[in-house]
Amino acid sequence: MKVLIVGAGPAAAGVALALTANSDVTVQVLDIGGRLEPENDEARERMSKAVPEDWAVDDFRAISLTTVASKQHRIPEKRNFGSDFPFRNFGQLDGLRSEGGVNSRVISGAYGGFSNTWGAQAMVFSGATFDDWPFTRSDIETDYRAILRAIPYSGEVDDLAEYFPLWGSADPLPHLSEGPERVLNKYERNRLRVRRQGVILGKARLAFKGRDCVSCGLCMTGCPYSFVYSASQTFDDLVRRRRIAYTGGYVALRLGEDEGRPFVAARSLATGNTETFRADKVFVASGALGTTRLVAQSLGMWSRRIHMQESAQFLMPLLALKGIKDLTQEGTFTLNQFNVVVPFDEVGHDLVQIHGYPFNTAMTDALPAFLTLPVFRDLGAMLLRRLTVGLGYLPSWWSAGFDVSFERPGGEGQVAGATLLPSTGDDYLARQKLRAVTRRLVMVAPLLGLFPVVPQISLSAPGKSYHFGGSFPHSRTPKQSEQSDLVGRLHPWRNIHLADASVFPTVPATTFTLSIMANAHRIARSVLEDDRG
Amino acid sequence: MAERTGPIVGVTGSSGFLGKALVAHLRGAGFEVVEYRRNVDDELNQGNVRYFDLSRAPDPEIFRGVTCLIHAAWDLRETDPLRAWGRNVEGSKRLLASAATAGIERIIFVSSMSAYFATKQDYGLMKLAIERSVLEANQIVVRPGLVYGGTPGGMAKTLSKLSSLPVIPIFRGSRLFTLHIDDFVAAVTTLVEAENVPSTVIGLANETPTPFREIMLALSQPASKSRMTLTVPWHLVLGLLRVLERMKVPLPVRSDSLLGLVRPAALVPGHDVAECLGLSFRNFAI
Repeated sequence: MKVLIVGAGPAAAGVALALTANSDVTVQVLDIGGRLEPENDEARERMSKAVPEDWAVDDFRAISLTTVASKQHRIPEKRNFGSDFPFRNFGQLDGLRSEGGVNSRVISGAYGGFSNTWGAQAMVFSGATFDDWPFTRSDIETDYRAILRAIPYSGEVDDLAEYFPLWGSADPLPHLSEGPERVLNKYERNRLRVRRQGVILGKARLAFKGRDCVSCGLCMTGCPYSFVYSASQTFDDLVRRRRIAYTGGYVALRLGEDEGRPFVAARSLATGNTETFRADKVFVASGALGTTRLVAQSLGMWSRRIHMQESAQFLMPLLALKGIKDLTQEGTFTLNQFNVVVPFDEVGHDLVQIHGYPFNTAMTDALPAFLTLPVFRDLGAMLLRRLTVGLGYLPSWWSAGFDVSFERPGGEGQVAGATLLPSTGDDYLARQKLRAVTRRLVMVAPLLGLFPVVPQISLSAPGKSYHFGGSFPHSRTPKQSEQSDLVGRLHPWRNIHLADASVFPTVPATTFTLSIMANAHRIARSVLEDDRG
Repeated sequence: MAERTGPIVGVTGSSGFLGKALVAHLRGAGFEVVEYRRNVDDELNQGNVRYFDLSRAPDPEIFRGVTCLIHAAWDLRETDPLRAWGRNVEGSKRLLASAATAGIERIIFVSSMSAYFATKQDYGLMKLAIERSVLEANQIVVRPGLVYGGTPGGMAKTLSKLSSLPVIPIFRGSRLFTLHIDDFVAAVTTLVEAENVPSTVIGLANETPTPFREIMLALSQPASKSRMTLTVPWHLVLGLLRVLERMKVPLPVRSDSLLGLVRPAALVPGHDVAECLGLSFRNFAI
């Protein structure tokens, strides 16, 4: 069987891992394939072969640029090895515009997609999340485990395992930073009093090689040693082992089936010509919005306003009474180090998660301008020593999400125009729930020694969480071209399968890339099993 | 009664109020039962009585032959909440992990009606944390109501003592879900035997809560409606108990237990499952 995968992000990696477990499947990956600039990649390569003490200063400077302020949004845009390539327009953002403050950098053209720059949090969805899905967590457990075997994974069994099983064999996390360590110790000492207020804490679960980590502190800007997982690592490995053929430099324009045989029309970035790729099965994994646009362009969904369900993000700065000794990111890892879970029911369906980040140099850049003035520099440093940045998420059913409408492409070889709009529903519920979360954290603040800076708590703009999808949600009885079946098929297609978050029935507050990969794996595995009768 | 082929049932906490009744009932029904106790030789890992202590990692050998485990052990000796958590919650999680590794097919955790979302009771919070781990392992949780009948034990025993006071304290508005001990053992036996039981929380109690006053009068010896009752402000009693506990004064009831009486669960969970399994719970009467 010949299979075509469109995209090379985490969902595509999940599909590829399932397909390549079978030797009789020929897999071709069609991708835009945007890459890190050669000079940055060379610097990263040199650093990967040396210990941090031997790194050249110029190499370090080249790849450790932290973040760049976003014109539209409070949370700045990350950089990866000093580059914006995960966000840059390689053709995939053509014709895409946004209104009302919706984040527009929402489709990645990079090889590996947004997993080049993600927070690497890898946590299974709670069992109750699947109450809204047409299958149970047990139906996807084998796929979660397959993914966790295939990617680096660090974490520990702690209180969070009451909702989120660890599953798989995980490395222990490296030593935590001073601040998070202190918070978790206080939680241990005051566990019942904290839990009485409806707050649970635990260590982060991360897709990175905790055992090998050298604690150079560069996680947030790109690990020179590639210890932090990116989907590109899966594809590099599969290409090296000749399990897939990778074809980069193509922007997919249209999908279709000729008498049941699927095809993908794509424009070559090198020649500008449109070419057609055919296979027995096509898996579309271009990211929730990329896939939605591709479907809309293929099925002519010009008059519809499609709702994207989003797990809204919020920023919650937290200040400790006691500061850390050294204001440095060296000697630790700078990914999320602990999670705060705020459940609103017993079963773990309605819950909110906050990821706690220790000091990293991006926080210095994000300080208000006056704190960088020489006269206030000590005050700025004092605050930074006490600061933990909490990035929180609300479930999609409490979040406004955003809408997208599509216009016919301007010409042959062009992608459809797309306009991202604020949702017609308002974010009243999100704000109400955020206040409830804040109240609980204020109650436990003296117990954890960590106080929310309430006036600075804010909901991020729509699309900014990057945790969105659900445009064609799975259903056992799908409505024509609005819902997909359990293997991601939309009417009238039989051999084209959507495999990314576009098919999620809901987007819970739990970090979701692992679940995207697991569901993509489930879809591909199920298709193979069906094919074999 | 003759031995029957069927699950070999392990019961932790078999010398406790509920554990003892369960063991007697299961043996009477012909089940082979393995008792787990902490007050036996710690090298005892075979036979019908085996060593298990929540404060220690279980020897995997103790699960040999057992196919169904009823976890009813709870160590009440530890009053410090942190240490109580370490012993009961962490100890139970260790037990569950070990039992799962040993391939025990069915685990039934005996929780409490004190375990409900947003409970403020330490005991309820600890039970709830274990419940989550049991459910994550696709196993079964039962929440018995206030168990009465037979020789009083547990909370009923404490209330029985309080009801012998010249004036019986009553808390306004308090209503508790109750469970006769015979219905408890019958329900758990059904869960041991039933072929398909979903992994869920099943409340074991009559669905109509009984006013606290009615319970206290029924428990008073001799039961008499003419005994004098006094409605007391529970906040005041709670505060007093907490002060006395800090002073290490030995008390017949803990402040945490009082919370369970005055802020009980609002409903009995898993009624539909109980009904499907044919479980029934009599109205409160002594």
